[in-house]
Amino acid sequence: MRAVARLVFLYFAGTAMTRALTICGLLSCLISLYVVTYLPQSQHMLAFAQVGQLLFFLGSALMPVMVGRLAQGHASGLLPYGRWKLLLSMLLTVFLVALPTGILTPFAFVAGMSEPAAALVAHPGLLEFSITRAWIIYTSCVIIAGWLYLVMWFLSERNRAGFAKGMLVIVIMMFLPAREIQELSATTRWNLEQLAVAWTVFGALFLAWPRLKNVRATLRRATAGSRGGFSRDTSGREVDLILGTGNPWLFIAAQLIPIAVASRVGIDLPSVWLYFLTIFSTVNGAIAGQAAERSRALWLRSGWSRSGLFAAVEKSFLRHNVVVLVLLLLIMGLIGARAGFTRALMAMGLPLVVLGTLASTYLGLSLTRGLRWFEASLGVTLMLTLMAVSQMLGAQPAPLSVVIVIEILLAFSALALRILARRRWATIDWTQCRPTRALSLRGA
Amino acid sequence: MNDATVQAAHLSKSFGAKRVLDDLTFAVAPGDVIGVLGKNGAGKTTLLELMLGFTPPSAGDIRVFGHSSERLPGDAKSRVGFVPQQDELIDQLTVADQLRLIASFYPHWDAELIDRLCTEWGVNPKARVKSMSVGERQKLSILLAFGHRPDLLVLDEPVASLDPMARRQFLEQLVEASADGRRTVIFSSHIVSDIERLANRIWILKDGRLDWQGDLDSLKESIVRLHLRAADGVLANLEVPGALSVRRDGSFTTAVVRDWTPGSLESLTAGRAIDVQVESLALEEIFLELHR
Repeated sequence: MRAVARLVFLYFAGTAMTRALTICGLLSCLISLYVVTYLPQSQHMLAFAQVGQLLFFLGSALMPVMVGRLAQGHASGLLPYGRWKLLLSMLLTVFLVALPTGILTPFAFVAGMSEPAAALVAHPGLLEFSITRAWIIYTSCVIIAGWLYLVMWFLSERNRAGFAKGMLVIVIMMFLPAREIQELSATTRWNLEQLAVAWTVFGALFLAWPRLKNVRATLRRATAGSRGGFSRDTSGREVDLILGTGNPWLFIAAQLIPIAVASRVGIDLPSVWLYFLTIFSTVNGAIAGQAAERSRALWLRSGWSRSGLFAAVEKSFLRHNVVVLVLLLLIMGLIGARAGFTRALMAMGLPLVVLGTLASTYLGLSLTRGLRWFEASLGVTLMLTLMAVSQMLGAQPAPLSVVIVIEILLAFSALALRILARRRWATIDWTQCRPTRALSLRGA
Repeated sequence: MNDATVQAAHLSKSFGAKRVLDDLTFAVAPGDVIGVLGKNGAGKTTLLELMLGFTPPSAGDIRVFGHSSERLPGDAKSRVGFVPQQDELIDQLTVADQLRLIASFYPHWDAELIDRLCTEWGVNPKARVKSMSVGERQKLSILLAFGHRPDLLVLDEPVASLDPMARRQFLEQLVEASADGRRTVIFSSHIVSDIERLANRIWILKDGRLDWQGDLDSLKESIVRLHLRAADGVLANLEVPGALSVRRDGSFTTAVVRDWTPGSLESLTAGRAIDVQVESLALEEIFLELHR
């Protein structure tokens, strides 16, 4: 258990950033506990709890990175009971991350009451109901946290397949636990069954993965042999080939699968669809985050200055992203017609998708020194803004003037990010943006 | 050999149609320090990975501490230390955290030894792994493999990134680690002088087969350079049995031969008046001759 405890501790406190996030998250939750227990309630007083929960989750961001690193290398195969301990540490982390929500939920049910939550003890029926709901919410949050880590895991693959898998998991999350929480249709028993099945399947795959990997490798070699060797398409412009922007159709295919699944599983809320599509638009842009590390090869092969290199890279990514963006806009039009989007939602939603792509593309291009605090905060802010605007556009009536202001701000942000990216590329230092194996969890 | 640390019988490994290792049979006893030599792609890393169960054999069997390497139990794993060719450190952690993390997996971690080595090798426990140079990372990888004082230490080109000073310190530590005659060390390296200095047994891999396995002295006695000079001045037709290479220069012939024994001299000269000088070779020369 010593190893499991050490692993969990490092997930939450392995770096200064995760330590700070974890401590702030816990403090916010504690403050929230005091506020909801002893002060008269209002909806806004749960803000501490929500922020605390989010920070606590982000504080454990090292978990997928560390697990991936340990699991993909030789370490997990050689450390005594290595994969078992890793699996246990993941399970424990997921249960821990969901804990604040579980504890605070009973208090959330009396958030609308004008007396302190401590008064719950005077109403045994209400107390019992709250505790039942708390269990349901807690177990639902454990499920959601597990899915979220899986999304992080897939996205860290930093390729199209990884993005597609991540999006697919988001669809499943929207359909199952999130919807059940919204509709209050989940039960503790159902949640526990889901957890048992999901973790048993995941655990079995995780533990057996080294053997499965060997089988997969053997099959791949056999297939490659029968095909007569390497047959990947390598045509196109050199700059696109090196940057990985040569074939937008692969990316489109990777996006179409989760969209098709989402349309089949019955997502019908316009705001949810809009948010889903804006997330796609940011993922589309986010692949530009690999530009800096990949451009070193271009620097050696071309006669461009650093500024000239930025222009070529920007052009290449825009060329790629515009094709994907056009498809997203078309899909949005089709979905809008089918799901009955209002004119306002279409008129404001389409530019939102465009702005999501542009802002994330330039944010990605500005990552010339890896992902640091500043860029990570910008990314989170961008996602939260897109989510907020999607929610606003789904409301009746939609606050259009606020949305317009936010979209104008987003447009300016995209411009500002472009200026930032161009400046950074003028002095780009490739020793600061080496590809790091730690970020890739492939093969874990 | 029932108490062998590692034992393999007819071990083969293929990747698709390519056979990397072919029918290897060997046994490693406690206290052996084995140096594995081979050209790039000879199968050294694959052999070490097979030993540790990272990949299953295509044919044959390999056992570590009596267990099939594919199914090493936890307590057997706690007796094994491994330094991979490319480090597998977690960039985000500090050296101290990385050491504490790995230490937590082992019941008997020698913190004192690691503290001492950190000081001697100039590894700063407060440094973040991401900021370390390749050589410093390699030192840390070695420390991680040493900390639980394993009975079997497997090192895959451990000194490739180390400077001469660090290499010397590492080798001294390895000598110290193997001095009790209980610990087994198997290491591959391209730096033949290190192997010559440290190993008491040599494995030479060639074309997927163990071209030589045995102690260093036997190897040096077995593969020698002969300087031959005929008293009558004619040596052109002399057949040198087991010759790896032959160079003729008038009445002089120089040949490197394998499987040389003192009795070979008689059959070579076969009653002819030939002056023969036997020269021992350095391990590097032997390796080069075997790969001509």
